Amino acid sequence: MRRRIALPLLTVAAVVTSFFVAVAPASAHGYISSPPSRQANCASGAVANCGDIIYEPQSVEAPKGSMQCNGGGTRFAVLNDNGKNWPAASVGTTVTFNWVFTARHATSTWEYFIGNTLLASFNDGGAQPGATKAHTISMGAFRGRQTLLARWNIADTANAFYSCVDLNIGGGGGTPPPTTPPPTNPPTTPPTNPPTSPPAGGTWAAYTSYAVGSVVTYGGASYRCRQAHTSLPGWEPPNVPALWERT
Amino acid sequence: MWRLFALLAVLVVAGCGEPAAPVATTGFNDVDVMFLQMGLEQIKEGDQVAALAERRATASEIRALATELRDQWRAESGIMQRWLLGWRRPLAPDPDASAHAGHGDLHSLRPSDIAELRAARGADFDRTALSLLLGHLHNCVATTRMESAGGAYPPAKSLAESMTAARKQQIRKMLVLVA
Repeated sequence: MRRRIALPLLTVAAVVTSFFVAVAPASAHGYISSPPSRQANCASGAVANCGDIIYEPQSVEAPKGSMQCNGGGTRFAVLNDNGKNWPAASVGTTVTFNWVFTARHATSTWEYFIGNTLLASFNDGGAQPGATKAHTISMGAFRGRQTLLARWNIADTANAFYSCVDLNIGGGGGTPPPTTPPPTNPPTTPPTNPPTSPPAGGTWAAYTSYAVGSVVTYGGASYRCRQAHTSLPGWEPPNVPALWERT
Repeated sequence: MWRLFALLAVLVVAGCGEPAAPVATTGFNDVDVMFLQMGLEQIKEGDQVAALAERRATASEIRALATELRDQWRAESGIMQRWLLGWRRPLAPDPDASAHAGHGDLHSLRPSDIAELRAARGADFDRTALSLLLGHLHNCVATTRMESAGGAYPPAKSLAESMTAARKQQIRKMLVLVA
């Protein structure tokens, strides 16, 4: 009996393991589609060279509590790059944010920040979102170019989903953005512990973006990156010749 | 992650019918089978939204996009069914997998979402349809990319590539429409 159970379990384990070696975990869930978040601007092609986020704008998942656009860590660190030319949506002083979902998790809260200021928070008390979700929020005294950070806090996990939205907050709704330069304070940088910069060399690590040509060491050997990617556990250089060439 | 594990476990055990089948060796593998079964299910689910959008969207761009999507899905599902039948694999993931409704890639479109869409009117209908379609196509892309990375049957991998490319274009168009 025990053997009969063990074999299918092993089969499953083997398949699942090989699956994870080969494929990025599809941790799918949600993001702000309008005004377009940074990941939406990547997926729509409005901003180029975003990396893998174009295939899964819904996957910016990280432990709760981060103030970074990627939720911390090194995955999707491109979203923290304020030097990238993120288009800012022209909006009035009250803005409606719309979400897209690939899985509708039980929700504790939705939070919206500019800088360290919490603009609004909605407590869903563990309910699942419906077909759509929209929040309409006052921008308070914030004007001009600002980066808003939204956090979708999941009720039954330790994680949240993060979306940053670049806004040009003006007076009259559809009016074009002021041509005067934005306030001298540089656009609110979401408080940064700059993401650990992608190591161009050193020892291979998971959850790290590697550019083509990066050289790492692993298990005493040295490898050169053949395809830009963000590493995952199981993607150790000797396991994935498609990504790493032994030098 | 756990949910995906659970889903995969169900799909793999249930999808094959006979639990002990080792990795298939005749040109296709379990990822190919999973891709085809999940893909067919996703097409069936997504077509509920696309069919409504094709008839009822206010914006002509949305209606055109829904028509394009439905045409492509029809062609794709024909091929996908043919392969599964040839391999003597069930067309659908085991019905028990529906116990995992709301847990990720499959069944992420709930009956209540379709009901909300049916009840919506005008601009609200358009917004709901785009939102549901976007979420659904992201899930479809997760599945086709899984096949590209882990499948073994070259024609299935190449179908997955073209599906990823087509869905990516449709997602781009929709993101522009909702922006």
